Amino acid sequence: MGQSGEADRWDRSRRVGWLDVDSVLRSHCLVVGAGALGNETVKNLVLSGVGKVTLVDMDHVELSNLNRCLFFSDVDASGRVAKAGVVAQGAMRLSPHCEILPLVSRIEDTDLDWGLFDVVFGCLDNIKARLHLNSYSRHHGIPYVDAGTDGSRGKLQVVLREGPCLQCSMNRSHYQVLERRFSCTGEDFSYYEPPMAAEVTTTATMAAMQVKEGLKIISNKEDGCIRDVMFYDALRNETLVLELEIDEDCPNHGM
Amino acid sequence: MTIEVTIRNAENGSNLNMELEPHTTIEDIIEGAAEFWNKEAGAYVLRRGKKLLKGQSTVMDAGLKNEDVLELIPDPEGG
Repeated sequence: MGQSGEADRWDRSRRVGWLDVDSVLRSHCLVVGAGALGNETVKNLVLSGVGKVTLVDMDHVELSNLNRCLFFSDVDASGRVAKAGVVAQGAMRLSPHCEILPLVSRIEDTDLDWGLFDVVFGCLDNIKARLHLNSYSRHHGIPYVDAGTDGSRGKLQVVLREGPCLQCSMNRSHYQVLERRFSCTGEDFSYYEPPMAAEVTTTATMAAMQVKEGLKIISNKEDGCIRDVMFYDALRNETLVLELEIDEDCPNHGM
Repeated sequence: MTIEVTIRNAENGSNLNMELEPHTTIEDIIEGAAEFWNKEAGAYVLRRGKKLLKGQSTVMDAGLKNEDVLELIPDPEGG
């Protein structure tokens, strides 16, 4: 290898002072959801050097996904191909060193070995699955990085081993729409609400922040993670980090 | 004793004045404001300054005061 490092795939990453590239290369991440956020999150993980990704999603590709999903094509949509498989294939083309294990399933129906994962990423479109992922991650002591979007708005929460969890930030309005799916398509069921607005610029922004938080955790820089809840509003040019306390009535605490 | 607060709608900047009893919960405020603005069913949170208010807290628990300004923020749940 020359001094310039041009022959090393990770040379520019190694020049990022805080990033522990060797830990990243050894890491195994769980990504749940292979929609707009999942496409971007997996892309970012793979290009960052993560060694292994388990990707869970139950849906197939639809034409309406193509305004925001990097790895999907018209052919995938017409063939109603499973999203997890398409993302896995596309991401492995970006960086063949990364092993991606696609699982076509609801997260609630999987039987995962949670001890394998260094970080869990929630790229979901419904609160019920988010709560499942939040409680399993907490129970197994694995940091959970959750993101959500709606048009030009986004939210990010990092759930570490200590401190408030996703459920601590929820209230009755969340439970009233617990099982509603907010943006994705594919499963054969009827909507009782119009689909949500979705912009690739928002999902790409939120997924980038999500993976940045995950890389901090893998690099043992948890102290630098977002500790509370971050709301992003692209139209107001505003990023708000709101303080959140542990909810003493939250079932994930005090057990 | 009742207090009067202003709820700001983060989506359009409009304001709503609400009179609150000490036992009114943050969830009640969220529902009342969402109903006033005819918002679609969805997840919302309420903040005061830099603090996200806990849903089950009452006006008294949360230490809300007369003329406080709270903001109703949609909680994005799409993926």
